[in-house]
Amino acid sequence: MSGAPVVRGSSPVAALVERFALVGAWLAVIAGFGIALPGSFLTWQNFAVMFASQAPAALLALALIVPLTCGDYDLSGGATVTLAAVILGVLNVNHQEPIGLALALALAAGVLVGTVNAFFIVYVRIPSLVVTLGTASLVTGFVQWFSDSSTISGLDATFVDWIITKQLFGISYAFYVAVLVALLLWYVFEYTPLGRRMLFVGKGREVARLNGIRVDHVRAGALVASSVLATLAGIVYAGVLGSADPFSGLNFLLPAFAAAFLGATSIKPGRFNAWGTFIAVYFLASGITGLSMFGIPLWVTSAFNGAALIVAVTLSQFARGRVESDLG
Amino acid sequence: MNASIQDLPRSRPARAPRRGLALLAGVLALLAPGAASADAAADGIAHAARQIEKHRAKPVFVAPGAPFDAQKCAAGRKMLSVPNSSANPFLKGIIKREVEVGKQLGLTVQEWQNQGQPSQWAQGVEFAVRNKFDIVNLISGVDPKTLEPQIRAARAAGVKTMTSHFYDPSQPQNPLVAASLPVGFNAIGKLLADWAILRSNGNAQIVVIKSSEVPPTEPLMRGLRDELAAHCPKCRIVNEVNVGVTEWATKIQSSLQSALLANPGVNWVIPIYDSMSQFVVPAIQITGRKGKVKVATFNGTPFVLDYVRNGDVDMNIGESLDWIAHATIDGYLRALCGLPVPKDIGVPFYLFDAGNVKDAGVPAKFDQGYGSDYVAGFRRLWGLAK
Repeated sequence: MSGAPVVRGSSPVAALVERFALVGAWLAVIAGFGIALPGSFLTWQNFAVMFASQAPAALLALALIVPLTCGDYDLSGGATVTLAAVILGVLNVNHQEPIGLALALALAAGVLVGTVNAFFIVYVRIPSLVVTLGTASLVTGFVQWFSDSSTISGLDATFVDWIITKQLFGISYAFYVAVLVALLLWYVFEYTPLGRRMLFVGKGREVARLNGIRVDHVRAGALVASSVLATLAGIVYAGVLGSADPFSGLNFLLPAFAAAFLGATSIKPGRFNAWGTFIAVYFLASGITGLSMFGIPLWVTSAFNGAALIVAVTLSQFARGRVESDLG
Repeated sequence: MNASIQDLPRSRPARAPRRGLALLAGVLALLAPGAASADAAADGIAHAARQIEKHRAKPVFVAPGAPFDAQKCAAGRKMLSVPNSSANPFLKGIIKREVEVGKQLGLTVQEWQNQGQPSQWAQGVEFAVRNKFDIVNLISGVDPKTLEPQIRAARAAGVKTMTSHFYDPSQPQNPLVAASLPVGFNAIGKLLADWAILRSNGNAQIVVIKSSEVPPTEPLMRGLRDELAAHCPKCRIVNEVNVGVTEWATKIQSSLQSALLANPGVNWVIPIYDSMSQFVVPAIQITGRKGKVKVATFNGTPFVLDYVRNGDVDMNIGESLDWIAHATIDGYLRALCGLPVPKDIGVPFYLFDAGNVKDAGVPAKFDQGYGSDYVAGFRRLWGLAK
C-alpha cells in the first residue's frame, strides 16, 4: 500500500477523480432519488433521520479501521456493540444503577475485550481473525447469559434524550458523536506520529520494527481503541433504540466492514481513512433509504450494498492500473 | 325513489316541484354510495369493537377435552422439547413450565438446548431415539419439513414427534407428525386489523412489518388483509415491509423511517411479531411521528408490554406461557394414550393496552396478568383435584 495518496502511474487529475469518486457517487444517488422523490427524499428531515440513525453503524465502521490500518482484523466489534448496550440495560434498568456508572462500566468492558484480543494476537501471536472470531463468540455467549437472552427497555430517559431527542440543526446528537470520532481519527491518522507509525506497522511489521517502532504496542493500542470505539457504538445504539437487546449488534459487523473497505477507495485511496469510511456509510444508507422509499423489496438493498462495494473497489483498481492491493 | 318521481302527475304546475325532486333524487343518488360506504364503515367499526371486546375480559378456561387420568398416562414417560432456539426467552419460558407441569404428572421433560441451527434440531431427534424418549416436542418455529429423515427414523423406533404453537389450524400438518397443537395465527391477524379499525375510527393507513420466512406469517397476514377488506372500506395497507429475522436490527428501523417519510398519511404500524417493536418505536420517534402513528402487535413479550405502559405501543396481544405449557402437555398426553387430540392449543389471546397493562407487572413479566383459572381447570381435568 502506498504511503502517499497519489496513485502510482496515474495523472493528478485521475488521482483527484479517484479520491472524490465516492463523494460524486453519493451526490449522484442523492440527485437521482431527489428527482424521483422530491417531496420525501429531498427533505432535510429525511437526511436528519438518516444521519442520526446510522450513527452506530458509522461508529462501528470507524472502530474497525483502527486495527485494519495496523493490519489486524477485529471481528469482535459487533459483539462488543451488543455487550455495551446490554451492560447499560442490565445495570441501569434491571439493577437501577446510575447511568453514569453503567456507561463507565460499558467502556471498561471495551477496554477488557480489546486487552484480551491484544494479548492473544500480539503476545501469543495468534492471527487476529482467529482470536477475534473466538472473542466474538465468547462475548456473545456472555451477553446472552448476562441479559437472560432478553431485550431490556426503559433506559434512563435523560441518556436517551441526549442521544436521540436533543438536536443541533435538526439532527440528533448521536450523529455528532460519530462526527467527533471521525474528526479524532482523521487528526490522529493524518497529523500525529502515532498515525504514521500505525500506517507503517500496517505496511510491513518487520520494516517498522527495524525502524524502531514498537510494533506490539501500536497493534495492542489499536485493538483496545477499536473495542472502546465499538462500545461507544453500542452506547449510541442503545440510546437510539432506547433499549438494549442481546443479538442485534452482531448484524452490523459485515456492513461495517463493507463501509471500511468502500471508504478505503476514497479520499485517501488505498488507505483505511476516517472520512472515506464515514462517507461510505452514508452513501450506502442514502441508496438504501431511496430504495426503501420506492417500496422496493429489502433483498434489493442487500444486493445494493454488495454491488456498491464490488463496483467501487473494482473501479478504484482499474483507476490504479490494477496494481496489487494490500487492503486485506 | 325513482318510482315515486315517475308516479308524480305530469301537469305544468307540478313542473317546478318535479324539477326540485329530480334534483334532490340526483343528489341523493350521488350521495347514496357515500351513505352506503358510511354504513359499511360504521358496521366495520361495530364489528371490530365486538371482536376486541371478546379478548379484553380475563381469559376463561375451557376444557380441551374429556377428563382423563393424566398421571397414569404420563407415568414413566419422557418428552424431549426442542425449541426453535434456546436463546428465545418465550420458548425457554414455555419449556421451563413444561418441566414443572411434567413433574406433577410423572412425565420427565428435558430441553434440547440449541442455538437455532437445523443440524442441532436433527441431533436432538436422534438423541431422543437413542435415549428412548416417548415424545419429541417441536416448539414454535421448528419446521418438521426440515427434519423428515430424523422424524421418520424416530417413528420407526416408536418415538412420536409432535408440534405445538407452529401451524395455523388452516395449514395441514406434516404427515410424519403424530399430533399437532396449532395456534390461530389467522385469528391474530384479524384481531390486529380489528384493533386498528376500531382505534382509527375506520381509517387506518397501515405499514406492516413482517417476516415472510416464518411459517405463521402467511396465515396471520391473510387474516389481517381479509379483515381489513371485509370490515374497513377506507383502511389501507400502504406498505408491507418484509424483513428477514436475522436482519431485523439492520433493516426494520431504516425501512420504516423511509416508509413513514414517504407516506405522511400513515397512522398505524403493525409489526406482526412484537420483538420487532424495539426498532419500530425509535423509527417513529426519530421521524417525529410519536403520537400520530400508533403501534399494535402480537406476542406479549415483557419489554413490549413495558412499551405499552409507556405509551410507545398502543396494544399487544399476549398468551400465557404457563397456559401454553399446560395445554401442550395435556394435548400430547391425549395423543400418547390414544385419546382425541384438541384441534388447536386452545390458549386464549388477551389484549394488553394502557388500561390493563399494569396487571402484567412493573416491569412486565411473562405470564403475569392472565389470571390463574386454567391451573385449577387442568388439575381437575387430569384428576389431580376435584
